Amino acid sequence: MQSGTIIIKTKLRTRWMCPLLTAGCFFLVIAWFSCARAGTDTALLSTWFVDMNQYTTAAHGSLSCEECHGPMISKGLGEGINKGKSHPDPDAANFLKTQTKRDFDYQTCRKCHKTAYARFVRGEHATAAAKEKTTGIPSKTGVAPNCGDCHSAHYVKSHQSRALTGKIMTESCGTCHVEQKESFLDNYHGKTAINLGYDKAALCTDCHGAHTTLSLKDKEAALNACRRCHFDATPEFANIIIHDTKENSELKNDTKKLGLKWIHGLGALSLVFVVAVLIFFYIHTGLLMLRKLHEKLRRHK
Amino acid sequence: MEINQKHQETYQRFHVLHRLLHIVIIFNFIFLAITGFLLHFSAFGWVSSIVFLMGGAGAAGWLHRVCAVFLYIGILVHVSWLFYYKIVLNQKLSGPDSILPGKKDIRDLYQNLRYVFNKGTPPLFDRFSYLQKVDYWAVMLGMQSMGITGLMKWFPEFFTGIFPGYFINIAAHFHFHEAVLAVMYIAVVHMSDTHLVPDIFPMEKTIFTGEIEKTRFMEDHPEEWKREQVIKG
Repeated sequence: MQSGTIIIKTKLRTRWMCPLLTAGCFFLVIAWFSCARAGTDTALLSTWFVDMNQYTTAAHGSLSCEECHGPMISKGLGEGINKGKSHPDPDAANFLKTQTKRDFDYQTCRKCHKTAYARFVRGEHATAAAKEKTTGIPSKTGVAPNCGDCHSAHYVKSHQSRALTGKIMTESCGTCHVEQKESFLDNYHGKTAINLGYDKAALCTDCHGAHTTLSLKDKEAALNACRRCHFDATPEFANIIIHDTKENSELKNDTKKLGLKWIHGLGALSLVFVVAVLIFFYIHTGLLMLRKLHEKLRRHK
Repeated sequence: MEINQKHQETYQRFHVLHRLLHIVIIFNFIFLAITGFLLHFSAFGWVSSIVFLMGGAGAAGWLHRVCAVFLYIGILVHVSWLFYYKIVLNQKLSGPDSILPGKKDIRDLYQNLRYVFNKGTPPLFDRFSYLQKVDYWAVMLGMQSMGITGLMKWFPEFFTGIFPGYFINIAAHFHFHEAVLAVMYIAVVHMSDTHLVPDIFPMEKTIFTGEIEKTRFMEDHPEEWKREQVIKG
């Protein structure tokens, strides 16, 4: 009799082991993918010190320092074409204390990246920078960026996948445009492109332009941006809200403001409906179940 | 109590078409829920791994759409069966056998609530109890609104030609909220009321076999049973 129960027990064990092992393997595979796909680093920002191990493997790794920073004549003795490109004075009080990105002359980038620079000069970031210079007041999102604020000149890698570029881009745009980043990641475009690595979904620059950085407040420009992927987009298509932000709902006399009012109102209403229906049926089911269990136990006594 | 269940008399309750449609709905509903929620909650790291195994966000999206189309075809087949039943078979869609909600359902709900608090006897249901009617109409009406909002999300270019742009955003909100409602209703209420009920646990097989045992018939649908006996004489 005893041996029989043992056999049944071992049979039971083997019967359970198979699905358990399969489930275990499945979760291990999932965990491995999660780790492999989570390991993406965002752009490292420039400081006064350069990590040469990273620099030599980066996109600009083949360039020598002088090609961007000039001939480094000591103690500010540069003359003529080299004026202002000399090494800062090591004895000066602010040596290594100034902000690298504000000191560097990004006209240097123009030497190789002509189109990008021309677009940047036409774009809204450059306009904001010019405005800051004349008024002396920084923009509400932060100081208007130059090349180095978005691109890491020393560590940027070339030929990166679109998915990784998107991740880095969302972080770097998001440092100033926090609300826009959050609303983008809450939209289908952001969810599929950034979270799921979908190549066909639009990233920040696909709509706003890589260096022109348009705010797309202009209806025509917005529609053109939509039409890059949605060829049949109607004028009303551009009124679909991508960035569900506070900033947009505080706009005055704008269709977006009206739209957001309706979206939030009806969204809240449908949520209330869902919660109310669920609460009613959950309570109903729970009580009925208790009663039926009670009846059943009483019958068996 | 312990009757040999194999020899118990059974009655036909569901036509084979309805059993098949129920299975179609089960599979498509599960796949729709999985793909839809994976896409919505993509911010979690493990979600992107599962979607990657599915073939990426694009494949998951298409799986969602294909399942939606099959599910809606199921609904259309059911609606055309209703027409067939009414016009060709010349049967009544209303009456006590009907799945249409009526005054009796309100009375049954009230009586059931009294029964829950031990203030009366359980209600005597007809062919469909009010909970079964809610299950039916939740799918029937839910699929219409899920279908419309889903189509608006699928073809925004077309629908913005008719409606203002922000309607697409509203449709997205409705689509998600109703998905939550549907899944949380089916997973808890439908599952409990049909399978977890002490007399039926672990599983209600009627919708799959189409047959109901005599004792269950008499207990769960007494009004229908009474009518059946009258017809038989």
